Amino acid sequence: MSSQFAVSEVPADAISALRFSPHPNSLRFAVASWDKNVYLYELADGKVCTQLAKFEHRAPVLDVCFGKDDNEIYTACLDWDVRRIDVATGTQTVLSTHDNGVRSVVYSKEHSLVVSAAWDSTVHIHPGGEAEWSTATINLPFKPFSLAVSSSKLVVAMANRALHIYELKTLASECKSSANSLQNRLDIEPWQRRESSLKFMTRAVDCMPNDEGYASSSIEGRVAVEWFDPSNESQARKYAFKCHRQHVDDVDVVYPVNAIAFHPIHGTFATGGGDGVVAIWDAIAKRRIRIYPKLAASVAAVSFSSSGKYLATAISPGFEDGKDELVEGMIGIFIRELAENEVKRKTK
Amino acid sequence: MTKKKRHHPDVEEILSRPWCYYCERDFDDLKILINHQKAKHFKCEKCGRRLNTAGGLSVHMSQVHKENLTAVDNALPNRAGLDIEIFGMEGIPEDIVQQHAQRVLAAYHQTQAERQAAGAKPAAGGHGPNAPKKPKLESVSELKKRLAEHKAAKLAAEQENGGSSRGDTPNPPASGQNQPQTTSAASPTYPGYQQTYTAPSTNGSYSQPPSFTQAPAPAATPYQAASNFPTAGSPPVVGYAQASTPQPGVPVYGQIPTVAYPPQPYAQPPQPSFQHQQPPMGYPSQPSFSPPYQPTYPGQSYHGQAAAPRPFGTVSPAPGFPQQSPPMHLAQGVHSPVGNGSFPAPVRTGSVSLPSAPGLPQRPAFGAPPVNAFQFQQMHQGQIPPPPAHNVVHQNRPHEASPSATAQQPPPTILPTNSSADDGQNASSLDDLIASASKHADANAAAAAAAAAPSEPQSQPTASAPAKEDATEEKSEKKDKEKPKTTRLVYSDNETSPEEKMAMMPKYAFTPAQKTIMV
Repeated sequence: MSSQFAVSEVPADAISALRFSPHPNSLRFAVASWDKNVYLYELADGKVCTQLAKFEHRAPVLDVCFGKDDNEIYTACLDWDVRRIDVATGTQTVLSTHDNGVRSVVYSKEHSLVVSAAWDSTVHIHPGGEAEWSTATINLPFKPFSLAVSSSKLVVAMANRALHIYELKTLASECKSSANSLQNRLDIEPWQRRESSLKFMTRAVDCMPNDEGYASSSIEGRVAVEWFDPSNESQARKYAFKCHRQHVDDVDVVYPVNAIAFHPIHGTFATGGGDGVVAIWDAIAKRRIRIYPKLAASVAAVSFSSSGKYLATAISPGFEDGKDELVEGMIGIFIRELAENEVKRKTK
Repeated sequence: MTKKKRHHPDVEEILSRPWCYYCERDFDDLKILINHQKAKHFKCEKCGRRLNTAGGLSVHMSQVHKENLTAVDNALPNRAGLDIEIFGMEGIPEDIVQQHAQRVLAAYHQTQAERQAAGAKPAAGGHGPNAPKKPKLESVSELKKRLAEHKAAKLAAEQENGGSSRGDTPNPPASGQNQPQTTSAASPTYPGYQQTYTAPSTNGSYSQPPSFTQAPAPAATPYQAASNFPTAGSPPVVGYAQASTPQPGVPVYGQIPTVAYPPQPYAQPPQPSFQHQQPPMGYPSQPSFSPPYQPTYPGQSYHGQAAAPRPFGTVSPAPGFPQQSPPMHLAQGVHSPVGNGSFPAPVRTGSVSLPSAPGLPQRPAFGAPPVNAFQFQQMHQGQIPPPPAHNVVHQNRPHEASPSATAQQPPPTILPTNSSADDGQNASSLDDLIASASKHADANAAAAAAAAAPSEPQSQPTASAPAKEDATEEKSEKKDKEKPKTTRLVYSDNETSPEEKMAMMPKYAFTPAQKTIMV
């Protein structure tokens, strides 16, 4: 039986993002909150979780990700800025400024790129580490809602069910080559343009660790699993399923699926819904592996540790579960130690 | 019959099935349930050991793995507690047992209603194999008694007004004849009537009653065929052949049916509506004659009248009644088919769930669209408020307009087409309700529906409205079959993400002005 414990020090306001460090053997995770702070936690022995640092911003922070190592984190803030934070010194560097709130930020270690997406319908691509070139901007047709990177691809999920897939390699080379052009507008065609297989607003997207595809979720309790490979064979494999629903008096109450996270080793993925439930799925076998007891509020974020041994779940009330009143105890971060085969694909 | 029963176990069977407290699943027997619990709820995550109870697992966890079990795995959210010791069916709190029973009952009734509705669907287009028609069987003594009454009444009627009784009586014989179309039972009865007409007062004719009394028994099975009847022309003919055989003593009759009842008349009467509408009309016209007869074949004998008279007239010597009955038949024909044809008897779908009246054969099932209990209730209340889901579902604004639009629409579309206005109105409003409800229900159809919705308001006053309605209706009905449930989106704004909404809240507001100053 897996054990789950709640982190004691939690943000004062709703949690917007939670991400475990992707670096091997790291048990750190960062949490972005609407209370304008980014928190850094470290898990010790799987039982104790301590808050290492807190980085204050001018506005609510909507997303956070780790950079090239645990000392570097990037934040997407509602004050339109994308920042790099040096954990050791606590210094914040503004990488670029969008024309609206920044929704997501991701880091590709393979190509050393920081990609941010903002509600001004642009994606900014920043060089990770030392700047050999300045930030490049890609215009999007719609507002982006979620970003995800795999080792070779960048997936941008937007409003109107649009979805663009970029090849990071192309992006990196384009950025370098157009480094000195004016305004740094990149007129780059996405590698693929897709329409979401879900009929409703895309909520979250994450890429498979094996770089073969991605899963996206919508506000209408559904998750789609798709493959990058444009061949008909691969495209025929894509599917979608319903989840995070509750049957109440003949009415199917449908919750948004707020978070998706792939397990770094097993390739299964977790979804967190507005119903406060986290479920583990096997994308290949199309099976649900596990469903965890309902939590007190909507699940805002889920993340697996790099070792795959821990699953962190952040809950906070919000529009997702129909409540907008903040109640004590509704915000929480739960760490679940996963048993050996708990989220492993069943071999049968 | 028995086979059907197998498919659809009765309530007791379902209620007595063992079920799992933790996940509400039910099982064929207790052993399987216990195995299920061990595998799903009482299995140790660490070592895979299967314990017998949650308490056992808890002890195992703490002793072997030094861990505390806080919740039962794979359990429903409110059932994951460790405080209740469950083993198989033992230990389940009484109130939860009752809740479960209630839920099972509700589900049972719903599926039954659905089955009835679904089973009837084919009846509209071909035949209703699932239509739960049960033959009315009567004991011989009862039948004899009735026959005696009937005879007495007949005699009395003849003595009172020999002439006029003929004028009235045509109906019963007609019904007798017509019945063959639905059942073979009818043809046997026919002779009985025939006697009264052709040779009214002869006692010799009474010697035939045996055929009458016996008839119902063989009739029993054919009765079921009644539901097949309206669309299929051939079944009745077969029915005749059978019908005539059991009465070797009445060769004439045996032939008459086959010759005199071509399949066409059978196809005409839409039975369901007849049953409902006929009685008031029929009763007054056959006071002396019919009472004894009716109980045997109530309802069906009536609708039989409609079709029979014509063929009967060609055969029967009685000149009076072909003339009399046809108008009646026509009237009915005009009346019911309209109500029935254009709207697949939706009004009566309500009656499907009602118990059938004791004296009547079981209510026929219709090709009604599946309507959930809530919608039924609303329809029966006579109001057509949009289902609650509509209020909540905001993301498709155009849809919200549709319930009200459709609610207003029915009267204008119906009035010209249907004489039985309330029939039609109910029907159409029901259909609209379903259409709109299912529109909302079906997330997949949302896009298509959204396209259709804007066109509705425009077409409202025009004549094309009904057609359009029908199209969408059909579409949505199909969808409805797959997803009878309504859905409610917790977050239904398809344009603005929750984060954007939060960002707009004053407490999170960030004014760019502040920023530009800083830069």
